[in-house]
Amino acid sequence: MTAYVVRRLLGLLPVLVAAVLLTFAANRFVPGDPITVMLGDQGGNVELERKLRGEYGLDRPVTVQFVDYIAKLAHGDFGLSFRYPGVPVTQVIKNALWISPSLAGAALALAVPIGIALGIVAALRRNTLADTGIILVLVAGLSIPNFALAAFFVWIFALKLGWVPVAGWTGWRHAILPVVLLAIPAAAYLARLARTFMLEVLQQDYMRTARAKGLSERLVVWRHGLRNVLIPILTVCGVIFGGLITGTVVIETVFNIPGLGRTAIESIFARDYPVTMAIVMLFTFFYATINFAVDVLYGLVDPRIRLEARR
Amino acid sequence: MKLRTLFRLLAVAAVATGLGGQVQARDLRININADPEMIDPITFSALIAGDVLRNVYQSFAQVDENGKVLPALALKWTAQPDQLGWRFELRPGVKFHTGRPFGAKDVKATFEALLTPGSKAGLQLPYLQRIVGAKDVQEGKTKDLQGVKVVSDLVVDIRFTAPDVLFPIYPFMFFDTQVVGDKGPNWFMEVSAGTGPYKFAGWRRGQDVYLEPFKDYYGGAPKIDGVRFVIVPSEETSVTMYEAGELDVLMVASTDLARRVMRDAKLRAEAQTISAAQINYLGMNQNLYAPFKDKRVREAFCISIDRDAMTRGLFGGLAQPLYGQITPGIPGYNPAVKKIAYDPERAKRLLADAGYPGGRGLPPLKIANLAPFRNEIAYYADQWKQVLGVTVDLDIMERATFLRSLNAGETPFFSWGWTADYPDALYYLSGVWHSKSPFNRARYSNPAYDALIDRAQVTADDQARYKLYHEAEALLLDDWGTCGLFVRTSVAVVKPNVKGVKLAPMRMLPYDKVTVN
Repeated sequence: MTAYVVRRLLGLLPVLVAAVLLTFAANRFVPGDPITVMLGDQGGNVELERKLRGEYGLDRPVTVQFVDYIAKLAHGDFGLSFRYPGVPVTQVIKNALWISPSLAGAALALAVPIGIALGIVAALRRNTLADTGIILVLVAGLSIPNFALAAFFVWIFALKLGWVPVAGWTGWRHAILPVVLLAIPAAAYLARLARTFMLEVLQQDYMRTARAKGLSERLVVWRHGLRNVLIPILTVCGVIFGGLITGTVVIETVFNIPGLGRTAIESIFARDYPVTMAIVMLFTFFYATINFAVDVLYGLVDPRIRLEARR
Repeated sequence: MKLRTLFRLLAVAAVATGLGGQVQARDLRININADPEMIDPITFSALIAGDVLRNVYQSFAQVDENGKVLPALALKWTAQPDQLGWRFELRPGVKFHTGRPFGAKDVKATFEALLTPGSKAGLQLPYLQRIVGAKDVQEGKTKDLQGVKVVSDLVVDIRFTAPDVLFPIYPFMFFDTQVVGDKGPNWFMEVSAGTGPYKFAGWRRGQDVYLEPFKDYYGGAPKIDGVRFVIVPSEETSVTMYEAGELDVLMVASTDLARRVMRDAKLRAEAQTISAAQINYLGMNQNLYAPFKDKRVREAFCISIDRDAMTRGLFGGLAQPLYGQITPGIPGYNPAVKKIAYDPERAKRLLADAGYPGGRGLPPLKIANLAPFRNEIAYYADQWKQVLGVTVDLDIMERATFLRSLNAGETPFFSWGWTADYPDALYYLSGVWHSKSPFNRARYSNPAYDALIDRAQVTADDQARYKLYHEAEALLLDDWGTCGLFVRTSVAVVKPNVKGVKLAPMRMLPYDKVTVN
């Protein structure tokens, strides 16, 4: 098992390196210049421009900048923000850091049980009115973009009913709508998968055997069926979490939540390269970590996998 | 044991606040559309930071909603006979938020702190350039600013190398410089060191900036529990928050939103409007586009625009035509400035007389601006096509690139604005049209105009100076060096239970007299 975990961990490294390389390249070679943005009304002030370029080390060759960046990164130093002159990147993202993964995590925690339950119910009642109804809701949940749904939810639950605040981030009540909205497409996606997997599992020989043994239908479905559905679902959870993290970019903007998603949008528009890069790397890191966790769990749940890995 | 006492105290406090639950904390909540760019008075140089810091730091003078200059930290200022200096008599009994008294030595110390090499001072730095000895301090030759003499605790003399008649109204931010020594370079995140009605109490990035009332404020402690600037980048969200009662004041940034607010009967009833202290003008660079050398061409382009129709239609009434280069409400404004009549016939004739009948023979022309102002330049271009038969393409640029190109004097044709930093027409007239100004973005050059502005700059008497402004403005306009286009109307929506919030031409007045019921 240890060997399996170590191997998985090492597998993370190339992913992170690729993320650093790609974001660095994308930031540097995209048109637009952070110093010009920084100068604002002073744009055209050649003297000041040269001074700033020197201060931020942007007058050196790109390769030197890259090596320098990596060296500092190794010490946990993400450099200075361009948008807030003189402020370290870590300071800019410090408060935002836990918000996006928490939102995504909460949404996942909400989506998994609901999605699985819906999917299994639909599978068991295959081709009935209930099944069709559930599928209809799932398609809607998947295809209505969540910013559209957000506007609708805010109108009903915040403005008309006054149950939740419109926007902001000062208490747990502010998290309700964002988490629900993030969870909806995730739950819908999970439910569709759960339905398909369950339908497949229901056809399996071991299910017939279980029934033949005289087990009750409930036991057959929930013990033998569900467990086998859970394994593929678990894998998908890693991917879904990635989607949720990305989804926070829109949701945080709509609900005015000072998380990494909104900070990412703002720093991209301000050409704040160091902040953008730090956030992309963090997102990659979260994503990779969750997938690592999934892999490990997967190995725990299904011994065949870690045995294969050993070979 | 200590810890236990603490817990006990906390429990008591919790009970007390629970019992006092009926007396609700009343903050004034206002939206700002981004984090402040900075929060310290030294590097201060941007709009949102200004909205916040105006409540924390003060200058010699302040402006009321009519643009009138009132005494703030100075009660009286008198020009020295040779015009090369000012004597300030400071307000007695003023305290810093740190508890120390404010006096003449703090004026000097603030200036020195701004000039210190490596201070990265922002907007206030240019205002210090004429003080005797400023250069020496800036170059690190000395720490002592020669030109500022502390006469007594409350009297300070300031000497200049050249007259600076507007010095008393410059928006300085005096602060207790001792905190820099006590708390280090990041002092401004930990302590509040101004003299204003509110103390800086915290900034949660992406979330809000919080100000607390200053109990010892010389104008009387504010009557509310605090001011919360809520950071809301999305305009849509800010309106919904206002409607749901999560904001007390809705600052309206874009014309689109302003139009929407004014169409909504409920919001409209709660809206405050005022002409912004911002000119919007047509920039015609005569060096870069040869036909602009001909005054007739410049006039033709200017009078092809129907300013009344534009402000009514395009702006939905949320702008006024601008005929001169000074906005109403700013001292020095000339209410009698000549109107620019929309005259298509004359425009056509002028262009033909200049040798370009129906626009034939004109080299290709593009008008530059930013994406948010596309509608405005599209309207102008359409007018020029219809009236003059000239095709003007739209050159939509990215903000930073546009500003760089403007400042470098590389944009042949553009429309752009200029927002007043201090309440005097000189800010527009010398900043945008004096040939020596780096912000003369159309590179207009007229020695007679420069001479009038140079004279105004050393004329301390307000009325005499305003007369020079009017002369210079008339000269510029008669020469069609530019033409005014429009003045935007600022809009803010204020809940009816909030009193004392006042929208002024130069954004919001400080919130010292605000009450929330």
